[in-house]
Amino acid sequence: MHMANELLSLPVAGGTLVIAGGVLGLICKKAKQVITSEKLALMGILGAFIFAAQMVNFRLPAMPGTSGHMVGAVLLAIILGPHAAAIVISSVIIVQCLIFQDGGLLALGCNIINMAFVPAYVGYYLYRIAAARSFSNLRTYIGVMLACLIGIETCAVLVPIEATLSGVLMVPFSTFLITMTGVHFLVGIVEGIVTVAVLAYIQQVRPDIVADNLCGKVRLSKRAVLATFAVFTIIIGAGLSLLASRMPDGLEWSYAERPDQPNFKPIVSNNDSRITVIDRLQSKYSLMPDYSVRSNGENENSQASVGWTSFAGVFGSITTMAVIWLIAWILRRNNPRTIIAQ
Amino acid sequence: MHHAHIDKFAYQDSPIHRLDARVKFIATVIFTAVVISLPRTSFAILFCYAIGPFAVLVLGRIPLKFVFKHILLVSPFVLILALSCPLYDKTPVKIAFGPSAFQTTVGWMRCCAICGKFVVTMLALIALVSTTRFSNLLVGLGKLGVPKLLIIQLGFLYRYIFVLIDTAQHILQARAGRTLRNLGFNQEIKTASAMLGSLFIRSIDTAEQINIAMQGRGFNGSWRTISRLKISSNDYIFGVFFAVFVISLYFFAVSILN
Repeated sequence: MHMANELLSLPVAGGTLVIAGGVLGLICKKAKQVITSEKLALMGILGAFIFAAQMVNFRLPAMPGTSGHMVGAVLLAIILGPHAAAIVISSVIIVQCLIFQDGGLLALGCNIINMAFVPAYVGYYLYRIAAARSFSNLRTYIGVMLACLIGIETCAVLVPIEATLSGVLMVPFSTFLITMTGVHFLVGIVEGIVTVAVLAYIQQVRPDIVADNLCGKVRLSKRAVLATFAVFTIIIGAGLSLLASRMPDGLEWSYAERPDQPNFKPIVSNNDSRITVIDRLQSKYSLMPDYSVRSNGENENSQASVGWTSFAGVFGSITTMAVIWLIAWILRRNNPRTIIAQ
Repeated sequence: MHHAHIDKFAYQDSPIHRLDARVKFIATVIFTAVVISLPRTSFAILFCYAIGPFAVLVLGRIPLKFVFKHILLVSPFVLILALSCPLYDKTPVKIAFGPSAFQTTVGWMRCCAICGKFVVTMLALIALVSTTRFSNLLVGLGKLGVPKLLIIQLGFLYRYIFVLIDTAQHILQARAGRTLRNLGFNQEIKTASAMLGSLFIRSIDTAEQINIAMQGRGFNGSWRTISRLKISSNDYIFGVFFAVFVISLYFFAVSILN
């Protein structure tokens, strides 16, 4: 689920990073009024709980050999409220990126939006709308199930949109979308069942935890709910409409126009204005000209020279790395003071 | 218990480890941005980019076996998506590589480029994290303008991840010792949710105790640290090397691509 750097283009990665950073800054500012210093340890430890919870696996029915685990984002959103949960889950994603290298550094923006903001806000508000005040009745459980399912599905829709806007992958958008939503439908159902079961357990053992909001009360103002849903509808709607217009020709629009190669014949032309704008943005902000591949039989000489340059590049680099390693090895052998932390 | 966490090498000592966290962080971000903005079908140039993080890893005395094992561990998602490229783009191209020239498709070139970029950016990220202590990285990030609340949150999170993972492992071991046959999904979920629930309650109780202890010592929402972050001459040297590396590779790449 974690997006990697390589599946995103620089404008998409940078844009989402700026959005995620800005929103996170706003949330932190807002949360400061609610969260006292006594709650800081609690939030940190509940973040660590997510890591531990993801280790607790269970066998899935009908699919022998596979096991599932909980994601936990919606559980935190329900218990902590959306603002605190957004901060906690974002911090979890940052640590997953930095310590466990899951997801890329520049893809952090995408990952935080997909996996922290969406479950925290969409999940929380869906739950609050569907669930009644008191716990342990059918309505609450349906609310939790809905929150988990739709939270995870939204995230599953966002991943193909981001990847397709970047244009790195060749998978047609519709195929990618169907696969992602299909797989995450199952994930969402399992997540919903487990979240309901865990909430029921906590309700039975420590009703005080679920009853009072641990990180300050969040008033459910209609405006906030509407704004949250409006933002996500706009994002998803805009992304989908943008992609739908080019669905028949997959991703080939990205080489419809080559400003750097005047003789380039467009393979597919798509005159949608939105797409040309994005294309222009992409060719403007990518640091280097894309696509130096020449088709068959064209200009043998220049191709050979490119071949030799890249050959020299690869072998020069490998030799350099070998030399660096060798020098380091020799230096280290002469200097036995190696400290290895265990 | 043993944890396969990546930053155990951050506690070594080397010229790279002594660099300022901010300098290393910014360098990694710039490097990653440059690598992902490389053309989507070029593979050879990635080898040249790999020299940078490779040199940092070797100078920082990080075992390469460990690095590559870790990259392999986190690669499945990227690998699956990269391997789907050859299925969808079958435009034939001829590439020349040194003395040989061969026929392939754009899809395969994209696939190789994605995997290559993945390895190179991973090398850079591992070079950052395994040569920088997380606490120093957090102080650096705080000075770069990351909200204080988030920094404190990350600090607490990092401190307690391994404590709670230990607890989870104890619980898992207890379950494994008591489960002798396949129980069916209903029972599985019941057990797992009880485990998760008790883990959750235990985490909240731990947090309360920690909070009381910290309040007793005068914690008021900010950490007081003896910050040792200072840009020294070594950092300038590293910065110059980094700039020369990136800029010269840029011109080299442009000359190859045109």
